[in-house]
Amino acid sequence: MRVKTLVWVLVPLTSIGVLLLGWEIIVVAFHVQPYIAPRPLAAIQAIFDKWGVLWPLVLGILRETFYGFLGGALLGFLFAVAMSKVRVVRRLLYPQLIVSQAVPVIAIAFPLTAILGFDTVRPIIAIVIWIVFFPVTVNVLDGLTHVDQDLLNLAKVYGATRWRTFWQIEVPATVSPLFTGLKIGATYAITGAFIGESVSASSGGSIALTISQANGNNNGALVYGLTMLLAVIGVTFFLVVTGLEALSTPWLRRPTSRRSRRRRVAAPQGAQ
Amino acid sequence: MGRVASSRGASCDAQGYIEGVPATVLLDLSAVTKTFGDQIVLAATDLTIDEGSFVSIVGPSGCGKSTLFNIIAGLLAPDAGEVTLEGRNVRGATGQVGYMLQKDLLVPWRSVEDNITMAARLTRRVSAADRDEARQIAQRYGLGDYLDHYPRALSGGMRQRVAFMRTLVAHRPLLLLDEPFGALDAQTRLDMQLWLLEVWRESGRTVLFITHDVDEAIFLSDRIIVMSPRPGRIVADIPNPIARPRDVDVLTDTAFVAIKAQVLRLLHARQR
Repeated sequence: MRVKTLVWVLVPLTSIGVLLLGWEIIVVAFHVQPYIAPRPLAAIQAIFDKWGVLWPLVLGILRETFYGFLGGALLGFLFAVAMSKVRVVRRLLYPQLIVSQAVPVIAIAFPLTAILGFDTVRPIIAIVIWIVFFPVTVNVLDGLTHVDQDLLNLAKVYGATRWRTFWQIEVPATVSPLFTGLKIGATYAITGAFIGESVSASSGGSIALTISQANGNNNGALVYGLTMLLAVIGVTFFLVVTGLEALSTPWLRRPTSRRSRRRRVAAPQGAQ
Repeated sequence: MGRVASSRGASCDAQGYIEGVPATVLLDLSAVTKTFGDQIVLAATDLTIDEGSFVSIVGPSGCGKSTLFNIIAGLLAPDAGEVTLEGRNVRGATGQVGYMLQKDLLVPWRSVEDNITMAARLTRRVSAADRDEARQIAQRYGLGDYLDHYPRALSGGMRQRVAFMRTLVAHRPLLLLDEPFGALDAQTRLDMQLWLLEVWRESGRTVLFITHDVDEAIFLSDRIIVMSPRPGRIVADIPNPIARPRDVDVLTDTAFVAIKAQVLRLLHARQR
Protein backbone atom coordinates (compact mmCIF):
# COMPACT_ATOMS: atom_id res chain seq x y z
CA MET A 1 0.00 0.00 0.00
CA ARG A 2 2.82 2.41 0.92
CA VAL A 3 4.70 1.67 -2.28
CA LYS A 4 1.50 2.08 -4.29
CA THR A 5 0.84 5.49 -2.74
CA LEU A 6 4.42 6.53 -3.42
CA VAL A 7 4.14 5.51 -7.06
CA TRP A 8 0.80 7.30 -7.29
CA VAL A 9 2.44 10.53 -6.14
CA LEU A 10 5.84 10.12 -7.78
CA VAL A 11 4.79 9.28 -11.31
CA PRO A 12 2.79 12.48 -11.97
CA LEU A 13 5.48 14.58 -10.26
CA THR A 14 8.14 12.99 -12.43
CA SER A 15 6.06 13.68 -15.51
CA ILE A 16 5.79 17.36 -14.56
CA GLY A 17 9.51 17.44 -13.82
CA VAL A 18 10.27 16.07 -17.27
CA LEU A 19 8.02 18.73 -18.80
CA LEU A 20 9.87 21.52 -16.98
CA LEU A 21 13.21 20.00 -17.90
CA GLY A 22 12.20 19.86 -21.59
CA TRP A 23 11.12 23.48 -21.36
CA GLU A 24 14.48 24.45 -19.82
CA ILE A 25 16.43 22.57 -22.49
CA ILE A 26 14.49 24.14 -25.37
CA VAL A 27 14.84 27.68 -24.00
CA VAL A 28 18.58 27.29 -23.45
CA ALA A 29 19.36 25.34 -26.62
CA PHE A 30 17.46 27.65 -28.96
CA HIS A 31 18.34 30.90 -27.18
CA VAL A 32 14.66 31.79 -26.74
CA GLN A 33 14.15 35.40 -25.67
CA PRO A 34 12.82 35.74 -22.07
CA TYR A 35 9.74 37.73 -23.17
CA ILE A 36 8.76 34.86 -25.45
CA ALA A 37 9.54 32.15 -22.92
CA PRO A 38 11.66 32.48 -19.79
CA ARG A 39 13.48 29.60 -18.16
CA PRO A 40 11.12 27.77 -15.80
CA LEU A 41 13.14 28.67 -12.73
CA ALA A 42 13.04 32.34 -13.72
CA ALA A 43 9.26 32.12 -13.99
CA ILE A 44 9.01 30.60 -10.53
CA GLN A 45 11.48 33.16 -9.22
CA ALA A 46 9.32 36.00 -10.58
CA ILE A 47 6.42 34.78 -8.46
CA PHE A 48 8.50 34.69 -5.30
CA ASP A 49 9.94 38.13 -5.98
CA LYS A 50 6.47 39.66 -6.18
CA TRP A 51 4.78 37.43 -3.62
CA GLY A 52 4.07 40.35 -1.29
CA VAL A 53 1.94 42.04 -3.98
CA LEU A 54 0.59 38.81 -5.43
CA TRP A 55 -0.71 36.89 -2.46
CA PRO A 56 -3.84 39.01 -1.82
CA LEU A 57 -4.65 38.62 -5.52
CA VAL A 58 -4.09 34.87 -5.32
CA LEU A 59 -6.37 34.76 -2.30
CA GLY A 60 -8.89 36.77 -4.32
CA ILE A 61 -9.00 34.40 -7.28
CA LEU A 62 -9.13 31.43 -4.91
CA ARG A 63 -12.13 32.95 -3.18
CA GLU A 64 -13.90 33.71 -6.48
CA THR A 65 -13.20 30.22 -7.75
CA PHE A 66 -14.34 28.60 -4.52
CA TYR A 67 -17.60 30.50 -4.10
CA GLY A 68 -18.38 30.23 -7.78
CA PHE A 69 -17.71 26.52 -7.70
CA LEU A 70 -19.90 26.04 -4.63
CA GLY A 71 -22.70 28.11 -6.13
CA GLY A 72 -22.42 26.34 -9.48
CA ALA A 73 -22.49 22.92 -7.84
CA LEU A 74 -25.55 23.80 -5.79
CA LEU A 75 -27.39 25.43 -8.67
CA GLY A 76 -26.45 22.59 -11.00
CA PHE A 77 -27.77 20.01 -8.55
CA LEU A 78 -31.03 21.89 -7.97
CA PHE A 79 -31.56 22.28 -11.72
CA ALA A 80 -31.02 18.56 -12.20
CA VAL A 81 -33.47 17.64 -9.45
CA ALA A 82 -36.12 20.05 -10.73
CA MET A 83 -35.66 18.82 -14.29
CA SER A 84 -35.84 15.16 -13.32
CA LYS A 85 -38.95 15.61 -11.17
CA VAL A 86 -41.01 17.97 -13.31
CA ARG A 87 -41.14 17.19 -16.98
CA VAL A 88 -42.32 20.68 -17.93
CA VAL A 89 -39.31 22.20 -16.20
CA ARG A 90 -37.08 19.85 -18.13
CA ARG A 91 -38.65 20.73 -21.45
CA LEU A 92 -38.44 24.44 -20.69
CA LEU A 93 -34.99 24.52 -19.20
CA TYR A 94 -32.93 22.09 -21.26
CA PRO A 95 -32.75 24.12 -24.50
CA GLN A 96 -31.89 27.24 -22.57
CA LEU A 97 -29.15 25.48 -20.65
CA ILE A 98 -27.59 24.32 -23.89
CA VAL A 99 -27.84 27.80 -25.38
CA SER A 100 -26.18 29.18 -22.25
CA GLN A 101 -23.18 26.95 -22.88
CA ALA A 102 -23.09 27.42 -26.64
CA VAL A 103 -22.48 31.14 -26.20
CA PRO A 104 -18.81 31.98 -25.52
CA VAL A 105 -18.48 32.79 -21.82
CA ILE A 106 -16.40 35.86 -22.51
CA ALA A 107 -19.25 37.32 -24.54
CA ILE A 108 -21.61 36.90 -21.62
CA ALA A 109 -19.01 38.27 -19.26
CA PHE A 110 -19.39 41.81 -20.56
CA PRO A 111 -23.13 42.26 -19.96
CA LEU A 112 -22.89 40.29 -16.69
CA THR A 113 -20.29 42.70 -15.46
CA ALA A 114 -22.36 45.65 -16.54
CA ILE A 115 -25.39 44.24 -14.71
CA LEU A 116 -23.68 43.10 -11.51
CA GLY A 117 -21.17 45.92 -11.14
CA PHE A 118 -17.64 46.57 -12.36
CA ASP A 119 -15.85 46.95 -9.09
CA THR A 120 -17.15 43.86 -7.29
CA VAL A 121 -16.47 40.14 -7.31
CA ARG A 122 -20.13 39.41 -8.05
CA PRO A 123 -19.78 39.18 -11.86
CA ILE A 124 -16.69 37.00 -11.46
CA ILE A 125 -18.48 34.58 -9.17
CA ALA A 126 -21.48 34.63 -11.51
CA ILE A 127 -19.26 33.62 -14.44
CA VAL A 128 -17.75 30.74 -12.45
CA ILE A 129 -21.26 29.60 -11.51
CA TRP A 130 -22.24 29.88 -15.19
CA ILE A 131 -19.42 27.54 -16.17
CA VAL A 132 -19.64 25.08 -13.28
CA PHE A 133 -23.36 24.40 -13.08
CA PHE A 134 -23.69 22.87 -16.53
CA PRO A 135 -21.56 19.72 -16.22
CA VAL A 136 -23.11 19.17 -12.78
CA THR A 137 -26.67 19.46 -14.11
CA VAL A 138 -26.03 17.21 -17.08
CA ASN A 139 -24.37 14.47 -15.05
CA VAL A 140 -26.75 14.53 -12.08
CA LEU A 141 -29.77 14.61 -14.40
CA ASP A 142 -28.35 11.60 -16.20
CA GLY A 143 -27.81 9.85 -12.86
CA LEU A 144 -31.32 10.64 -11.63
CA THR A 145 -32.97 9.42 -14.81
CA HIS A 146 -30.98 6.18 -14.73
CA VAL A 147 -31.78 5.05 -11.21
CA ASP A 148 -32.78 1.38 -11.46
CA GLN A 149 -36.56 1.32 -11.95
CA ASP A 150 -36.76 -2.03 -10.16
CA LEU A 151 -35.15 -0.46 -7.12
CA LEU A 152 -37.68 2.37 -7.21
CA ASN A 153 -40.45 -0.23 -7.51
CA LEU A 154 -39.03 -2.10 -4.53
CA ALA A 155 -39.19 1.10 -2.48
CA LYS A 156 -42.78 1.57 -3.63
CA VAL A 157 -43.70 -2.00 -2.69
CA TYR A 158 -42.37 -1.33 0.81
CA GLY A 159 -44.62 1.71 0.98
CA ALA A 160 -41.85 4.32 0.88
CA THR A 161 -42.80 7.97 0.48
CA ARG A 162 -41.39 9.91 -2.47
CA TRP A 163 -39.33 11.99 -0.07
CA ARG A 164 -37.66 8.99 1.55
CA THR A 165 -37.13 7.30 -1.79
CA PHE A 166 -35.43 10.46 -2.98
CA TRP A 167 -33.06 10.72 -0.01
CA GLN A 168 -32.43 7.04 0.54
CA ILE A 169 -32.14 5.88 -3.06
CA GLU A 170 -32.05 8.61 -5.69
CA VAL A 171 -29.59 10.97 -4.03
CA PRO A 172 -27.02 8.32 -3.04
CA ALA A 173 -27.35 6.83 -6.53
CA THR A 174 -26.27 10.17 -8.03
CA VAL A 175 -23.13 10.62 -5.93
CA SER A 176 -20.85 9.23 -8.64
CA PRO A 177 -22.33 11.25 -11.53
CA LEU A 178 -22.38 14.31 -9.28
CA PHE A 179 -18.65 14.01 -8.76
CA THR A 180 -18.04 13.46 -12.46
CA GLY A 181 -19.73 16.82 -13.02
CA LEU A 182 -17.89 18.44 -10.11
CA LYS A 183 -14.49 17.30 -11.39
CA ILE A 184 -15.16 18.82 -14.80
CA GLY A 185 -16.45 21.95 -13.06
CA ALA A 186 -13.41 22.13 -10.80
CA THR A 187 -11.02 22.32 -13.74
CA TYR A 188 -13.16 24.92 -15.51
CA ALA A 189 -13.81 27.07 -12.44
CA ILE A 190 -10.41 28.76 -12.44
CA THR A 191 -10.80 29.58 -16.13
CA GLY A 192 -14.14 31.23 -15.34
CA ALA A 193 -12.61 33.26 -12.54
CA PHE A 194 -9.80 34.38 -14.84
CA ILE A 195 -12.21 35.44 -17.58
CA GLY A 196 -14.27 37.30 -15.02
CA GLU A 197 -11.22 39.10 -13.71
CA SER A 198 -10.15 40.03 -17.23
CA VAL A 199 -13.47 41.65 -18.00
CA SER A 200 -14.31 43.36 -14.75
CA ALA A 201 -12.01 46.06 -13.46
CA SER A 202 -11.45 45.57 -9.78
CA SER A 203 -9.69 48.63 -8.35
CA GLY A 204 -7.70 46.39 -6.02
CA GLY A 205 -6.11 44.64 -8.98
CA SER A 206 -6.36 40.95 -9.89
CA ILE A 207 -4.31 38.05 -11.20
CA ALA A 208 -5.75 38.49 -14.69
CA LEU A 209 -4.92 42.19 -14.64
CA THR A 210 -1.40 41.49 -13.39
CA ILE A 211 -0.78 38.99 -16.19
CA SER A 212 -2.11 41.48 -18.72
CA GLN A 213 0.18 44.20 -17.38
CA ALA A 214 3.21 41.90 -17.23
CA ASN A 215 2.54 40.96 -20.83
CA GLY A 216 2.46 44.63 -21.77
CA ASN A 217 5.78 45.13 -20.03
CA ASN A 218 7.38 42.19 -21.83
CA ASN A 219 7.79 40.54 -18.42
CA GLY A 220 7.65 36.99 -19.74
CA ALA A 221 8.87 35.54 -16.47
CA LEU A 222 5.87 36.89 -14.56
CA VAL A 223 3.37 35.92 -17.27
CA TYR A 224 4.65 32.35 -17.26
CA GLY A 225 4.99 32.27 -13.50
CA LEU A 226 1.39 33.35 -12.95
CA THR A 227 0.17 30.92 -15.57
CA MET A 228 1.92 28.13 -13.71
CA LEU A 229 0.37 29.35 -10.50
CA LEU A 230 -3.10 29.20 -12.09
CA ALA A 231 -2.33 25.66 -13.23
CA VAL A 232 -1.34 24.71 -9.70
CA ILE A 233 -4.57 26.20 -8.33
CA GLY A 234 -6.64 24.37 -10.95
CA VAL A 235 -4.96 21.05 -10.28
CA THR A 236 -5.33 21.53 -6.52
CA PHE A 237 -9.05 22.18 -6.93
CA PHE A 238 -9.38 19.03 -8.98
CA LEU A 239 -7.43 17.00 -6.44
CA VAL A 240 -9.52 18.30 -3.55
CA VAL A 241 -12.72 17.33 -5.35
CA THR A 242 -11.26 13.92 -6.19
CA GLY A 243 -10.37 13.49 -2.53
CA LEU A 244 -13.90 14.43 -1.49
CA GLU A 245 -15.24 11.92 -3.96
CA ALA A 246 -13.12 9.17 -2.44
CA LEU A 247 -14.37 10.13 1.02
CA SER A 248 -18.01 10.14 -0.04
CA THR A 249 -17.92 6.82 -1.89
CA PRO A 250 -16.20 4.43 0.54
CA TRP A 251 -18.15 1.50 -0.92
CA LEU A 252 -16.22 1.80 -4.16
CA ARG A 253 -12.88 1.46 -2.43
CA ARG A 254 -13.36 -0.68 0.65
CA PRO A 255 -15.02 -4.02 1.25
CA THR A 256 -16.50 -2.93 4.60
CA SER A 257 -18.13 0.15 6.07
CA ARG A 258 -16.29 2.37 8.50
CA ARG A 259 -18.41 1.24 11.40
CA SER A 260 -16.73 -2.16 11.34
CA ARG A 261 -13.44 -0.67 12.48
CA ARG A 262 -14.99 0.80 15.56
CA ARG A 263 -16.77 -2.41 16.26
CA ARG A 264 -13.65 -4.48 15.78
CA VAL A 265 -11.88 -2.31 18.32
CA ALA A 266 -14.71 -2.91 20.73
CA ALA A 267 -14.80 -6.61 19.94
CA PRO A 268 -12.65 -8.00 22.83
CA GLN A 269 -15.42 -7.26 25.32
CA GLY A 270 -17.57 -9.09 22.79
CA ALA A 271 -21.29 -8.49 22.84
CA GLN A 272 -21.95 -11.58 20.78
CA MET B 1 -34.93 -15.15 17.34
CA GLY B 2 -37.51 -12.61 18.41
CA ARG B 3 -39.62 -11.09 15.70
CA VAL B 4 -38.19 -13.15 12.90
CA ALA B 5 -40.60 -15.95 13.71
CA SER B 6 -43.83 -14.41 12.62
CA SER B 7 -46.86 -15.54 14.53
CA ARG B 8 -49.36 -13.61 12.46
CA GLY B 9 -52.77 -14.70 13.58
CA ALA B 10 -52.73 -18.32 12.56
CA SER B 11 -53.03 -21.70 14.09
CA CYS B 12 -51.15 -23.33 11.30
CA ASP B 13 -47.54 -24.28 11.75
CA ALA B 14 -44.73 -23.67 9.31
CA GLN B 15 -45.77 -26.67 7.26
CA GLY B 16 -48.79 -24.86 5.96
CA TYR B 17 -51.03 -27.87 5.70
CA ILE B 18 -51.94 -29.70 8.84
CA GLU B 19 -54.26 -32.63 8.41
CA GLY B 20 -57.76 -31.92 9.61
CA VAL B 21 -57.13 -28.28 10.46
CA PRO B 22 -58.72 -25.89 7.97
CA ALA B 23 -56.07 -23.44 6.77
CA THR B 24 -56.58 -19.70 6.95
CA VAL B 25 -56.74 -17.93 3.61
CA LEU B 26 -54.05 -15.23 3.45
CA LEU B 27 -54.42 -14.00 -0.12
CA ASP B 28 -57.45 -14.18 -2.31
CA LEU B 29 -57.59 -13.03 -5.91
CA SER B 30 -60.96 -13.07 -7.59
CA ALA B 31 -61.50 -12.46 -11.29
CA VAL B 32 -58.39 -10.30 -11.51
CA THR B 33 -57.91 -9.03 -15.07
CA LYS B 34 -55.27 -6.90 -16.74
CA THR B 35 -55.08 -5.61 -20.28
CA PHE B 36 -52.31 -3.62 -21.91
CA GLY B 37 -53.64 -1.95 -25.04
CA ASP B 38 -55.67 -4.63 -26.81
CA GLN B 39 -53.64 -7.48 -25.36
CA ILE B 40 -55.12 -9.45 -22.48
CA VAL B 41 -52.09 -9.99 -20.27
CA LEU B 42 -54.09 -11.60 -17.54
CA ALA B 43 -57.51 -13.16 -18.16
CA ALA B 44 -59.91 -13.30 -15.22
CA THR B 45 -57.83 -15.10 -12.63
CA ASP B 46 -58.80 -16.60 -9.29
CA LEU B 47 -56.15 -17.66 -6.83
CA THR B 48 -56.22 -18.44 -3.15
CA ILE B 49 -53.09 -18.80 -1.02
CA ASP B 50 -53.29 -20.33 2.46
CA GLU B 51 -51.38 -18.82 5.31
CA GLY B 52 -48.00 -20.45 5.86
CA SER B 53 -47.98 -22.25 2.52
CA PHE B 54 -45.38 -22.20 -0.23
CA VAL B 55 -46.87 -21.82 -3.69
CA SER B 56 -44.95 -21.63 -6.95
CA ILE B 57 -46.02 -20.28 -10.31
CA VAL B 58 -44.41 -21.69 -13.43
CA GLY B 59 -45.07 -20.69 -16.99
CA PRO B 60 -43.39 -19.45 -20.15
CA SER B 61 -42.56 -15.80 -20.75
CA GLY B 62 -45.62 -13.69 -21.37
CA CYS B 63 -47.97 -15.87 -19.34
CA GLY B 64 -48.74 -12.95 -17.06
CA LYS B 65 -47.00 -14.21 -13.94
CA SER B 66 -45.00 -11.05 -13.42
CA THR B 67 -48.11 -8.97 -14.08
CA LEU B 68 -49.89 -11.05 -11.46
CA PHE B 69 -47.02 -10.33 -9.05
CA ASN B 70 -47.09 -6.63 -9.71
CA ILE B 71 -50.83 -6.58 -9.11
CA ILE B 72 -50.43 -8.38 -5.77
CA ALA B 73 -47.55 -6.04 -4.86
CA GLY B 74 -49.76 -3.05 -5.63
CA LEU B 75 -47.51 -1.73 -8.40
CA LEU B 76 -50.27 -2.31 -10.94
CA ALA B 77 -53.97 -1.87 -10.43
CA PRO B 78 -56.03 -4.61 -12.11
CA ASP B 79 -58.64 -3.57 -14.67
CA ALA B 80 -61.16 -5.69 -12.83
CA GLY B 81 -61.30 -8.07 -9.88
CA GLU B 82 -60.47 -7.99 -6.23
CA VAL B 83 -57.22 -8.53 -4.33
CA THR B 84 -57.77 -9.44 -0.69
CA LEU B 85 -54.94 -9.88 1.79
CA GLU B 86 -55.74 -10.93 5.35
CA GLY B 87 -59.34 -10.08 4.64
CA ARG B 88 -58.55 -6.50 3.56
CA ASN B 89 -58.98 -5.16 0.07
CA VAL B 90 -55.47 -4.23 -1.08
CA ARG B 91 -56.23 -3.55 -4.73
CA GLY B 92 -53.55 -1.14 -6.00
CA ALA B 93 -52.14 -0.67 -2.46
CA THR B 94 -48.41 -0.87 -1.85
CA GLY B 95 -46.63 -1.49 1.44
CA GLN B 96 -48.47 -4.78 2.02
CA VAL B 97 -46.11 -7.54 0.90
CA GLY B 98 -42.44 -8.51 0.81
CA TYR B 99 -40.94 -8.51 -2.67
CA MET B 100 -37.74 -9.93 -4.10
CA LEU B 101 -36.50 -10.21 -7.67
CA GLN B 102 -33.78 -12.00 -9.58
CA LYS B 103 -31.77 -8.80 -9.22
CA ASP B 104 -30.81 -8.53 -5.58
CA LEU B 105 -31.44 -4.75 -5.62
CA LEU B 106 -29.08 -4.22 -2.71
CA VAL B 107 -27.91 -0.63 -2.59
CA PRO B 108 -24.13 -0.52 -3.08
CA TRP B 109 -23.63 2.38 -0.66
CA ARG B 110 -25.06 0.53 2.34
CA SER B 111 -23.51 -2.26 4.39
CA VAL B 112 -25.18 -5.66 4.62
CA GLU B 113 -26.76 -4.68 7.94
CA ASP B 114 -28.12 -1.43 6.53
CA ASN B 115 -29.40 -3.20 3.44
CA ILE B 116 -31.29 -5.68 5.60
CA THR B 117 -33.01 -2.82 7.41
CA MET B 118 -33.83 -1.05 4.13
CA ALA B 119 -37.59 -1.52 4.36
CA ALA B 120 -37.62 0.21 7.73
CA ARG B 121 -35.34 2.97 6.46
CA LEU B 122 -37.70 3.64 3.57
CA THR B 123 -40.75 4.02 5.76
CA ARG B 124 -39.64 5.29 9.17
CA ARG B 125 -36.68 5.76 11.46
CA VAL B 126 -34.51 2.69 11.81
CA SER B 127 -34.63 1.69 15.48
CA ALA B 128 -32.12 -0.17 17.63
CA ALA B 129 -34.56 -3.08 17.56
CA ASP B 130 -34.44 -3.09 13.74
CA ARG B 131 -30.66 -3.25 13.83
CA ASP B 132 -30.65 -5.97 16.46
CA GLU B 133 -33.02 -8.02 14.41
CA ALA B 134 -30.94 -7.56 11.26
CA ARG B 135 -27.82 -8.66 13.12
CA GLN B 136 -29.57 -11.64 14.65
CA ILE B 137 -31.00 -12.89 11.40
CA ALA B 138 -27.68 -12.44 9.60
CA GLN B 139 -25.87 -14.35 12.32
CA ARG B 140 -28.46 -17.06 12.40
CA TYR B 141 -28.20 -17.65 8.67
CA GLY B 142 -24.45 -17.51 8.30
CA LEU B 143 -23.79 -13.90 7.33
CA GLY B 144 -22.85 -12.64 10.79
CA ASP B 145 -19.29 -11.98 9.73
CA TYR B 146 -20.40 -9.90 6.77
CA LEU B 147 -22.65 -7.36 8.47
CA ASP B 148 -20.27 -4.51 7.75
CA HIS B 149 -19.44 -5.56 4.22
CA TYR B 150 -20.66 -3.66 1.24
CA PRO B 151 -22.67 -5.79 -1.22
CA ARG B 152 -19.88 -5.46 -3.79
CA ALA B 153 -17.68 -7.63 -1.57
CA LEU B 154 -20.19 -10.52 -1.53
CA SER B 155 -20.81 -13.42 -3.90
CA GLY B 156 -24.05 -13.70 -5.87
CA GLY B 157 -25.47 -16.31 -3.52
CA MET B 158 -24.65 -14.25 -0.45
CA ARG B 159 -26.20 -11.17 -2.00
CA GLN B 160 -29.44 -13.04 -2.66
CA ARG B 161 -29.44 -14.22 0.95
CA VAL B 162 -29.09 -10.64 2.11
CA ALA B 163 -31.90 -9.63 -0.24
CA PHE B 164 -34.08 -12.37 1.26
CA MET B 165 -33.25 -11.29 4.80
CA ARG B 166 -34.23 -7.76 3.84
CA THR B 167 -37.53 -9.18 2.62
CA LEU B 168 -38.01 -11.16 5.85
CA VAL B 169 -37.40 -8.31 8.31
CA ALA B 170 -39.90 -6.13 6.47
CA HIS B 171 -42.47 -8.25 8.37
CA ARG B 172 -45.00 -8.60 5.65
CA PRO B 173 -47.24 -11.65 5.87
CA LEU B 174 -46.76 -12.60 2.21
CA LEU B 175 -43.42 -12.84 0.42
CA LEU B 176 -43.41 -12.49 -3.35
CA LEU B 177 -40.26 -13.99 -4.81
CA ASP B 178 -39.82 -13.51 -8.55
CA GLU B 179 -37.15 -15.91 -9.80
CA PRO B 180 -34.87 -14.99 -6.90
CA PHE B 181 -32.28 -17.64 -7.77
CA GLY B 182 -32.53 -17.31 -11.55
CA ALA B 183 -29.10 -15.74 -11.97
CA LEU B 184 -27.22 -18.23 -9.79
CA ASP B 185 -25.28 -21.27 -10.96
CA ALA B 186 -26.91 -24.68 -10.45
CA GLN B 187 -24.89 -25.65 -7.38
CA THR B 188 -25.46 -22.34 -5.58
CA ARG B 189 -29.08 -22.43 -6.58
CA LEU B 190 -29.66 -25.81 -4.92
CA ASP B 191 -27.90 -24.56 -1.80
CA MET B 192 -30.12 -21.50 -1.81
CA GLN B 193 -33.25 -23.63 -2.23
CA LEU B 194 -32.33 -25.74 0.78
CA TRP B 195 -31.55 -22.60 2.71
CA LEU B 196 -34.82 -20.98 1.70
CA LEU B 197 -36.78 -24.04 2.85
CA GLU B 198 -35.05 -23.87 6.21
CA VAL B 199 -35.72 -20.16 6.67
CA TRP B 200 -39.30 -20.52 5.47
CA ARG B 201 -39.95 -23.40 7.88
CA GLU B 202 -38.59 -21.40 10.79
CA SER B 203 -40.25 -18.11 9.90
CA GLY B 204 -43.72 -19.44 9.20
CA ARG B 205 -44.23 -16.97 6.37
CA THR B 206 -46.30 -17.48 3.27
CA VAL B 207 -44.38 -17.54 0.00
CA LEU B 208 -45.52 -17.01 -3.56
CA PHE B 209 -42.65 -17.96 -5.81
CA ILE B 210 -42.18 -17.42 -9.55
CA THR B 211 -39.72 -19.60 -11.42
CA HIS B 212 -38.92 -20.99 -14.85
CA ASP B 213 -37.33 -24.01 -13.22
CA VAL B 214 -39.83 -26.85 -12.81
CA ASP B 215 -37.53 -28.78 -10.44
CA GLU B 216 -37.24 -25.73 -8.25
CA ALA B 217 -41.00 -25.22 -8.18
CA ILE B 218 -41.71 -28.81 -7.17
CA PHE B 219 -38.84 -29.05 -4.71
CA LEU B 220 -39.96 -25.97 -2.79
CA SER B 221 -43.72 -25.88 -3.02
CA ASP B 222 -46.94 -27.17 -1.55
CA ARG B 223 -48.71 -26.25 -4.78
CA ILE B 224 -47.51 -25.61 -8.31
CA ILE B 225 -49.59 -23.21 -10.37
CA VAL B 226 -49.06 -23.60 -14.11
CA MET B 227 -49.79 -20.56 -16.25
CA SER B 228 -50.04 -20.16 -20.00
CA PRO B 229 -49.81 -17.14 -22.32
CA ARG B 230 -52.14 -15.43 -24.79
CA PRO B 231 -54.15 -14.71 -22.79
CA GLY B 232 -52.22 -15.16 -19.54
CA ARG B 233 -54.15 -17.50 -17.29
CA ILE B 234 -53.87 -20.36 -14.80
CA VAL B 235 -54.19 -23.72 -16.50
CA ALA B 236 -53.44 -26.06 -13.60
CA ASP B 237 -53.10 -26.03 -9.84
CA ILE B 238 -51.15 -29.11 -8.81
CA PRO B 239 -50.77 -30.10 -5.16
CA ASN B 240 -47.42 -31.49 -4.08
CA PRO B 241 -47.90 -33.97 -1.25
CA ILE B 242 -44.22 -34.88 -0.85
CA ALA B 243 -43.45 -34.80 2.87
CA ARG B 244 -41.35 -32.09 4.49
CA PRO B 245 -38.66 -31.45 5.45
CA ARG B 246 -37.30 -32.19 1.99
CA ASP B 247 -33.69 -32.78 1.09
CA VAL B 248 -31.91 -33.38 -2.22
CA ASP B 249 -33.09 -37.01 -2.39
CA VAL B 250 -36.56 -35.68 -3.12
CA LEU B 251 -35.33 -34.56 -6.53
CA THR B 252 -35.13 -38.19 -7.70
CA ASP B 253 -38.19 -39.43 -5.84
CA THR B 254 -40.84 -41.14 -8.01
CA ALA B 255 -43.56 -38.82 -6.71
CA PHE B 256 -41.37 -35.87 -7.68
CA VAL B 257 -40.78 -37.23 -11.16
CA ALA B 258 -44.51 -37.87 -11.62
CA ILE B 259 -45.37 -34.27 -10.77
CA LYS B 260 -42.56 -33.06 -12.99
CA ALA B 261 -43.89 -35.08 -15.92
CA GLN B 262 -47.33 -33.59 -15.39
CA VAL B 263 -46.04 -30.02 -15.25
CA LEU B 264 -43.77 -30.47 -18.24
CA ARG B 265 -46.62 -31.90 -20.31
CA LEU B 266 -48.76 -28.87 -19.46
CA LEU B 267 -46.00 -26.41 -20.26
CA HIS B 268 -44.91 -28.16 -23.39
CA ALA B 269 -48.40 -28.63 -24.81
CA ARG B 270 -49.07 -24.94 -24.33
CA GLN B 271 -45.91 -23.83 -26.02
CA ARG B 272 -46.71 -25.51 -29.29
